[in-house]
Amino acid sequence: MTVQAPGAGREAPGTQTLATPPPIEESLVIFDNVSRFYGEVLGVNRVTLTIPPGITSLVGPNGSGKTTLMNLMTGLVRPTRGEIRVLGAATNDPERLFKLVGYSTQFDSFPKGLTGFDFVYSFLRLFGDSHAECEARAWKAIERVNLVEPAKRRIAGYSKGMRQRIKLAQAIAHDPRVLVLDEPLNGLDPLVRAETIALFREYAANGRHVIMSTHILHEVDMISDQVILLANGYVVAEGEISGVRSEISEQPIQVQIRCDRPSALASRAFETDHVVEVKLHVDGGGLLIKTRDADKFYRLLNHIALEGIAIESVTPADDNANSIYEYLIGGEESTK
Amino acid sequence: MNWGLWWAQIRSVIRLEMRKTFFAKRGIWVYLLALAPAALFFADSIAVAHDRDRRAELESTHPVTEKALESIEMGSTREQVEAKAGEPYAKQVYTFGRREQHEQAIYRYTDGQSDYVFIFRDNELVGRRTNELRTIPKDSLIFATVFQFFYLRLAIFFGCVGIFTNLFRGELLDKSLHFYLLAPIRREVLLVGKYLAGLIATVVIFTTSTALQLLAMGWHLSGPAMTEYLHGPGWGQIGAYLGVTALACLGYGSVFLAAGLLFRNPIVPAAVVLLWESANPFLPAALKKVSVIFYLQSMCPVVARPNDMPALAALLLSSAEATPVVWAASGLVVVTFMVLALAAWQARKLEINYSSD
Repeated sequence: MTVQAPGAGREAPGTQTLATPPPIEESLVIFDNVSRFYGEVLGVNRVTLTIPPGITSLVGPNGSGKTTLMNLMTGLVRPTRGEIRVLGAATNDPERLFKLVGYSTQFDSFPKGLTGFDFVYSFLRLFGDSHAECEARAWKAIERVNLVEPAKRRIAGYSKGMRQRIKLAQAIAHDPRVLVLDEPLNGLDPLVRAETIALFREYAANGRHVIMSTHILHEVDMISDQVILLANGYVVAEGEISGVRSEISEQPIQVQIRCDRPSALASRAFETDHVVEVKLHVDGGGLLIKTRDADKFYRLLNHIALEGIAIESVTPADDNANSIYEYLIGGEESTK
Repeated sequence: MNWGLWWAQIRSVIRLEMRKTFFAKRGIWVYLLALAPAALFFADSIAVAHDRDRRAELESTHPVTEKALESIEMGSTREQVEAKAGEPYAKQVYTFGRREQHEQAIYRYTDGQSDYVFIFRDNELVGRRTNELRTIPKDSLIFATVFQFFYLRLAIFFGCVGIFTNLFRGELLDKSLHFYLLAPIRREVLLVGKYLAGLIATVVIFTTSTALQLLAMGWHLSGPAMTEYLHGPGWGQIGAYLGVTALACLGYGSVFLAAGLLFRNPIVPAAVVLLWESANPFLPAALKKVSVIFYLQSMCPVVARPNDMPALAALLLSSAEATPVVWAASGLVVVTFMVLALAAWQARKLEINYSSD
């Protein structure tokens, strides 16, 4: 059986064969009733999470606890209460944890006087590997973020985007199984942004964790396998975006329908008790329906189709992070 | 216990830190502080050499023996003095007083070694001063005083404040410490690596300065005098001063590394430690041993004489009862380990919260 090797931070996932599979918790990031207070200020409160491999986005307004959650995960801050395990490793065991984890923080500061290459290479040496090995790994990571040409220049002269990329190179240089990224796409131009997203996808496709915070919601939709929504230090929803949406039963679902007779469809819809709002498209070719019961509504649509209304397309209009975010948090604070 | 890995990590930390400790712009003042006494000793040495040449030249043009000059008694007239010692190389005669005019005269002689100044009032010798040419014992005493009063207590002390407090606190202020804390390295190993980096930097800077000071001190000595000194107490004293300098960096380094972890503003603990070290002579015997200066002064090869100094400085130099060198060195190492253990405990608890730092 081919499984992930627990603790083999720099083995490519899925390459080591073990006699028995590792416990399931050794492939998960687990927060167990974790709270963190800064004096009397709440960082996060009673967070219980299980994060599987794949791309997980932490979404929330400023001060919602995204960075605190990441810092807790990487031991930069300690929980006031509760316990965190990252692939089975405790966050106060750096020798084990940081062979598994790479963290690109939001801090835009670097040790003084270093070139991009020196920066990646020097911190790789802390793993205890040889000069040749660290040099090779450093160049490989720098290549992956397309920063080879300026790698021998001092970081102090880098643009914001280059600094983001060299931080990313440093985070991935030891080939971690969990990549934690705080606003990793900030300051990147569209081309580099696309390349970086591709890199995250590649990581996730190899069965690794990519846990990132972002406030750009359309990117959450585009990139994420899972989303964790935070507000005021609390996790207000978590899971796959569509799953999170369906959990919010009290909120109506919006469905876009393109058909030949939208008015007739609207009048049929209003005959039911679960449809709460209908908006006709201005082009007369469709309508938007809000319903409290998606199952009943889709059964109704089948009947309507049989009655002779030609339905071209049916699209969930709010099954994305943005609308979920609005439902859950929008009343409190908008994103940047 | 993975000693091999830890040693490799310590070497990596030292490599990273060396660049910052040796070549940081904000560390320039440490070099100035370290080299200032060496510069002063060089200047002094040049002045002494010049003075020696001057005396030799004057002695050749106005020859007089030490015996003749020593035989001059108080109350002698100018004529009697000139009869014994001949014409002085410099003579000043002037009158003063409003109602009653007085004559005052100053005669200067040299026998090539010492300067003699005779002061006459109304043609009667009323005062004499002798200024000997600098000798090795005198130089040693001056060096001991500067070393214990300025170099140990101020230059090395504040140099260690500048370098060791910045090892952690400086990176917290620069917001770059997290890179270390995100590496697979135990906090204790990181602390040892940073401490050794600071220690190497301070030992190199300050022992170099000590060596330069000693060299400068002996600059004016003639070849035979230098050989005599080196074959006497010379090498022992040089070794002792270099050793005390290194041990000062060891002790103060640990204190200020811990201070950088425990306090946001390193000036506050530096002031407290300075006060504590200064109060050492007045502390009970048990408390005296909880300080760095207590052990350092015990190991200095020449005892600075408080009688030759201003009262306040003399107080600072009045050490506790002498402690054998072996005990002093061991005591200092024990204090250093205790302080480093405290720092390691603090490092384990360290969190990254730059906004509050």
